[in-house]
Amino acid sequence: MRGKVFYLFLVPFFVSVLCKVNQDTVDNNIVVTQVERKIDIASHLVKTYTSITIENKGSSTVRSVLFVVDPALKGKLSFIGAVTKDNKDDKLTVVPTTVKDHSDKEIYRVQLRSGLDAGKTVTVEVDAVYAHALTPYPAQITQAEKQYVVYEGNLYLYSPYKTLSQKTTVTAASTSLESYTKTKPVSVSENIITYGPFDEKAPFTEAPLRVHEENNSPFLTVSYLERLLEVSHWGNVAIEEHVDVTHTGATLKGPFSRFDYQRSQDGVSSIKSFKTSLPAAARDVYYRDEIGNISTSHMRELDDAVDIELRPRFPLFGGWKTRYFLGYNVPSYEYLFNKGDNYALKIRFVDHVYDDMVIDEAVVRVILPEGAKNIEVRTPYAVKREEDELHYTYLDTTGRPVIVLRKENLVESHIQEFEVHYTFQRLMLFQEPFLVVGAFYLLFVAVIIYVRLDFSITKDEAKESRMRVASLVEEVQSTQDRRSALYQSYDDAINRFKTSKDVNAFVASRKKVDADYRSLTSQIQSLQQQMKAEGSDIAEKVSELQRLDSQYKDQITLAITMAEKLVSGKVNRQQYLDSETSINSKREDIYQKMEALRATL
Amino acid sequence: MDIESMNRYVSPINPAVFPHLTVVLLGIGIFFMAWFFVYEVTSTKFTRDLYKELSVSLVASVFMGFGVLFLLLWVGIFV
Repeated sequence: MRGKVFYLFLVPFFVSVLCKVNQDTVDNNIVVTQVERKIDIASHLVKTYTSITIENKGSSTVRSVLFVVDPALKGKLSFIGAVTKDNKDDKLTVVPTTVKDHSDKEIYRVQLRSGLDAGKTVTVEVDAVYAHALTPYPAQITQAEKQYVVYEGNLYLYSPYKTLSQKTTVTAASTSLESYTKTKPVSVSENIITYGPFDEKAPFTEAPLRVHEENNSPFLTVSYLERLLEVSHWGNVAIEEHVDVTHTGATLKGPFSRFDYQRSQDGVSSIKSFKTSLPAAARDVYYRDEIGNISTSHMRELDDAVDIELRPRFPLFGGWKTRYFLGYNVPSYEYLFNKGDNYALKIRFVDHVYDDMVIDEAVVRVILPEGAKNIEVRTPYAVKREEDELHYTYLDTTGRPVIVLRKENLVESHIQEFEVHYTFQRLMLFQEPFLVVGAFYLLFVAVIIYVRLDFSITKDEAKESRMRVASLVEEVQSTQDRRSALYQSYDDAINRFKTSKDVNAFVASRKKVDADYRSLTSQIQSLQQQMKAEGSDIAEKVSELQRLDSQYKDQITLAITMAEKLVSGKVNRQQYLDSETSINSKREDIYQKMEALRATL
Repeated sequence: MDIESMNRYVSPINPAVFPHLTVVLLGIGIFFMAWFFVYEVTSTKFTRDLYKELSVSLVASVFMGFGVLFLLLWVGIFV
């Protein structure tokens, strides 16, 4: 772990400091036997593919070879990658370096996987992409004109080694070539210009190569991309991109006529729309700018991607720019990994914006959940990590940590995944719901306190008394309800006694019910006293209720006596049944009266 | 720790059940909240019972809190 942290510090270090410190020498024992160069200037990027066959004529093993950027393209390199011809899947390490006496040159060291022994040959294939290497010429065109660009480079491979044989092909955007360098041998077929084969050239040989072609491909440049990745442990990663795009081709001269644009379909080099590919799992996609939703977009869901055709509010001509936001959600299980409290987000540093894209500057902000600690970033290429920030959004207290990463000059080859490792306590996830729970409880407690406040300046005795009586009535009613339930308990006890004939059990259960009954009755009695004290006429009704209840209780006592007599054999069954019927009818009568009285309280 | 040794992260609640959770929890929460407020406005200072008020409001706030959270998640505010 420690070693990796160290490595992380090393990566930005490599670019800023190490490229000055990294020193190499040109090994004169290396001879380039064959070079095949393909320069693709069909889009607004210059993509070169260079296949270099190297022979080690020395006696010691060669571990690395140097690749020097064309002087004409210096400072425009966006991406460089190298493989050997026999193993194209395993990428070789390419690092910037310097060579003594050649400090003015941009040099990269390609590390060979295994050393190249004396007398052996190896073919290294270097892919390089250069941005802003095509110059519009003329630099200004009218709406109806076509766009012409000039590519200027080196006719030969700018090699630090002696080159025996080489060939260069240039792929133009169209067959319409204004001019091109006619150094022999040269041949043109359709849009492909082939130079060579050339014979032996000394190291660092230069010769002009200039191609003036018609190129109407969209010269769309993302001048600034801000990518926000918001991780939620509730199962979502929200992605939003703020994109500033500019047409960096020949600028528009004169007026823009919407009429001509619609009618004659001119403005061939302008950008009407472009296509962005999002991950297949993207949901809730939105495309908007400062003034709201841009309705002119189409979304198509494919098996492996979601394609969005974005049409800006106006066509982009040379020098024109626009700014938009594109956002979507992806489920977290595709990008988030964990083991215990260790989490890792593995997601693309930048995603596809349009084909052959070029991003001048990209800022990626990763918003981690609140409480994420021990943050560690691992990137596939060097990026600048800026100071962490805090982001406040819904239900945040201390703020969410934000990692800010910055990189300049990116192309499609930079669409690679990077990793953010952090630790997060799972229980912290429940901070958010409890925050809402707490807020609600606070509201309720405030209500509880509010209803207890009394802002009246005079005391209304009559009203107070009424309220007190009302509360007493309520209590009497609820006590009476409980007492009614006890009557049923008496009946149950009697019935049980009649079947079991167990005198002791009957006495015990009666005692218990009696105690309850007495306490309830005395409770009502004291309530009635309080009502009397308030001077309420309801006290009369309550005493009536108490009277009815004592009558009812008498009937129950009678029923108990009869039951005891029946069990002990003092009365026969018929007599008992007769008395029970009369008792029941009386009870029913009293009960009805009590209920009616209770309701009128 | 390397990503290879980790498992894919699965959220504690499947996002597919957010709507159901929202409806059920908010339903219960609103019931208890309504009970609480009705109790507050109908009771007088002689009939009020602090324990009852606190316990009903606690139940109401727990259900409302979780209900509101899932409502936020359902509508796409991933907190």
